[in-house]
Amino acid sequence: MTGSRAPNYVAIWVWLVALALASLAAGLLPGGRTVTVAVVFAAATVKALLVALNYMHLRFEPRLVHALALVPLLVVAVLAVALVPDLVLRR
Amino acid sequence: MALASEVHALAGEPEVLPGLRAGKVAVWWFLASETMVFGGLIASALVVRLGGEGWHEASAHLGVTLAAVNTLILLTSSLTVVQAFAAAARGDRASTSLSLALTVAGGLAFLALKAVEYTTEVRAGYTPASGIFWSFYYAMTGLHALHVAAGVVVNAVLLVAGRLRTPQRVELAGLYWHFVDVVWIFLFPLLYLS
Repeated sequence: MTGSRAPNYVAIWVWLVALALASLAAGLLPGGRTVTVAVVFAAATVKALLVALNYMHLRFEPRLVHALALVPLLVVAVLAVALVPDLVLRR
Repeated sequence: MALASEVHALAGEPEVLPGLRAGKVAVWWFLASETMVFGGLIASALVVRLGGEGWHEASAHLGVTLAAVNTLILLTSSLTVVQAFAAAARGDRASTSLSLALTVAGGLAFLALKAVEYTTEVRAGYTPASGIFWSFYYAMTGLHALHVAAGVVVNAVLLVAGRLRTPQRVELAGLYWHFVDVVWIFLFPLLYLS
């Protein structure tokens, strides 16, 4: 983060805590377990992005650092997709 | 608050790109390998979870309250460690020390609560051999706890060894700590809420 204005770290923390509390309350939503799982993982993804972009300063970093953060996620996604046939064929 | 590029610099350390020091690239490389370790575990667990192996039934035996408190502790320690960096960047040694101390305390509190949780589960008869959910649970949370312990050591060293405490090192230690936080952000819903 070269000469950039730092994020409001406390405001980011407030959002993180709010999303964590929302995840805990997700079980009260109508729609059953599928809705709960979708909501808690969506909230987790937003929380992870808030931490990575603001606390880890990814939004201020050059493309090389972005690549170092994203490429392993792509590898993990490929692994997850590669495991799907195991799930489907077992049924 | 403007954070100048100088705070990233360690005297004599080469730049990989203008304003990007080798140490930061090295830490991001390390985190990339860690992402694949935890990502592989989480992806495998998700597949088992979707396969309906009694995941939810086993998960229901876990105590959500302690894990929720631990979530708030780790989120808060991410705030304190980034505040330590901001304080170090502006040369405020007292605030840096306080923020690092709070981060170390948060990590120790997390580990203490995790120990209580493990004790409760083992006493209830749930061990790593109790089923696929419990194998994943102990493997993922155990590996994560080891990372928390490593982060506590790194931050404690920066806290007590003032001579080593450059703004750049505080930032790099913080990167690792935030990564540990991000891993927990996904472990919490996967193991306790789904």
